[in-house]
Amino acid sequence: MSDTPQSPAPQTSAPQRRFLRDNPSVPWFLGALAVFTLIVTLLSEGFGVGAISTNLVKVLGMTLCLCLIAVAMDVVWGYCGILSLGHFAFFGLGGYMIGMWLMYARTEIVIRDSLANATIPPTEPEVAEAVAAQIFGVVGTSDLPAIWMFAHSLPAQLALVVLVPGLLALVFGWLAFRSRVTGVYLSILTQAMTLALSLYLFQNDTGLRGNNGLSGLQNIPGFGHVPQAVISVWFLWASALALGGGYLLFAWVVSGKFGSVIRAIRDNEARVRFLGYNVEGYKLFVFTLTAVVSAIAGALYYPQAGIINPAEIAPIASIYLAVWVAIGGRGRLYGAVIGAASVSLLSSWLTGGGAPNVDLGFMRIVWTDWWLVLLGLGFVAVTLFFPKGIGGLFDYLVRRG
Amino acid sequence: MQTLLEVADVSVTFDGFRAINNLSLSIGEPELRAVIGPNGAGKTTFMDIVTGKTRPDKGRVLWGERQVDLLKLSESQIAMAGIGRKFQKPTVFEDQSLRDNLAMALRNKRGPWSVLAWKASAQDRARIDELAEEVGLSERLDHRAGDLSHGQKQWLEIGMLLAQDPRLLLVDEPAAGMTPAEREHTTDLLKRAAQTRAVMVIEHDMEFIRRLDCRVTVLHEGSVLAEGSLAHVTKNQQVIDVYLGR
Repeated sequence: MSDTPQSPAPQTSAPQRRFLRDNPSVPWFLGALAVFTLIVTLLSEGFGVGAISTNLVKVLGMTLCLCLIAVAMDVVWGYCGILSLGHFAFFGLGGYMIGMWLMYARTEIVIRDSLANATIPPTEPEVAEAVAAQIFGVVGTSDLPAIWMFAHSLPAQLALVVLVPGLLALVFGWLAFRSRVTGVYLSILTQAMTLALSLYLFQNDTGLRGNNGLSGLQNIPGFGHVPQAVISVWFLWASALALGGGYLLFAWVVSGKFGSVIRAIRDNEARVRFLGYNVEGYKLFVFTLTAVVSAIAGALYYPQAGIINPAEIAPIASIYLAVWVAIGGRGRLYGAVIGAASVSLLSSWLTGGGAPNVDLGFMRIVWTDWWLVLLGLGFVAVTLFFPKGIGGLFDYLVRRG
Repeated sequence: MQTLLEVADVSVTFDGFRAINNLSLSIGEPELRAVIGPNGAGKTTFMDIVTGKTRPDKGRVLWGERQVDLLKLSESQIAMAGIGRKFQKPTVFEDQSLRDNLAMALRNKRGPWSVLAWKASAQDRARIDELAEEVGLSERLDHRAGDLSHGQKQWLEIGMLLAQDPRLLLVDEPAAGMTPAEREHTTDLLKRAAQTRAVMVIEHDMEFIRRLDCRVTVLHEGSVLAEGSLAHVTKNQQVIDVYLGR
């Protein structure tokens, strides 16, 4: 906060200056992200010296996607005050939409290769039938469900990555906000939404392979000859690009007057109504925009994870998302990134068997079991003692510096 | 002077309690009007009805030359139709600068897309400076609203009201918690605003009302008990019994 009166800046440069003044973290963040991506690339097996494994590159790429959904969560919760506990549903749906193309196109290639050696070349319907049988054999059917009608087309499925979660968010948000459901009731409603979606997808006859989910997503159709070491770095770049773009987009959205209005809605929505703003419209806008960005993050995440199943959109996933943002510090975009990155990396280290177990004599702390206890304690500690989260440390540093 | 707002035969009941009972009153443009009455007389509920926060059980609320039925509009639509409201407790957005508070209130397009694309025009900036000047907060434009004193917050809120450029201002107890000097400044602000628009002030403080020097409506048990000049209503025996005498 500067006390000096603003100098009358030249009209042309005023908006840019204002954007950077309101978002000093943007150049720092983008710089750090670029350096991080470069270092990982140089250390990777695919493009560098091979100091870090392809698997770790994938974990880091996935972490960038988690950071992106955390930034979206921070906008909807930290800035607009809507504690959505359902944004992982949109993340998962984005993953399913891209997963359908990945699985279909890859299976089609495999089928064509194996049928190519047959004496009579296969007809198109035969190929389609074989693909369907291959994908849906596990759930006891060989018909291609209607929702897979665009699965052969990458552009169509990419459009669906945005459209399906966006439409769900739009309809759900419209119903919820129009009825003026707020606070904890809205949070419960979003939990119900993600639970319902997850339970629905667990069924075998919903056309998305039930609890088997979609698998083999790491095999990118048409790039079968490219080793995973290279593909993993491509996805790291794509994820970094998406995170950087998302960060820039949201920094722009939350600065300026729009940010002013949504923070005002967070602090006192009744007052904003009396200023003449349609609060429900703004909430719907933010809810849907963040849902779409979450879906894009999911569409980049699951090809790196290799598999998606309905357990991914269980209610707990969305609660973790809120915990990351709270620990990182809500109401600041880089806080969300810090929270998501540190907690999810710590989680994979502790649950992946990387961390040494602690023998206390009377009991053994096995991190795979105790990790959740640690996370819970961390969450409580942050809530009680550091309400601004890890990101709050920067305020302290800036003030001292 | 023609009628701007007409409230006719309005009643509202909360859990069996009749907060507003066949209330009818109207205000012209421009006009300054004070509304007084004992606690529970329905003053704030009346404002809630006009601004769309509370739906009455019966009655009509008509607005402007075209007699628009306000009961069919949402809070934000009523605000855009030209009714601004200042709450009893100052409600400014403490987290944000005075400039941002005023910018939000400026009479510009309110849709998400237009707000996203909004950039302060030279005219907007001049208007913000002018409003800050008017309410005496020019020096603090780039400070957080949360750092203001109680009285200054009230003024900022009045400034935000003026920024909306409403035809009718509803002002709930503007002088509460103010020092005498601050009260005087507030009276001036309201009187000046009432030269071009309708201003309705709810107040308890008789000295403040006297200084406003305007027509007074006395509410009691949800309906109008008396109306007229301050001298006129203070002589009314019923008014003395229910309000002034205590």
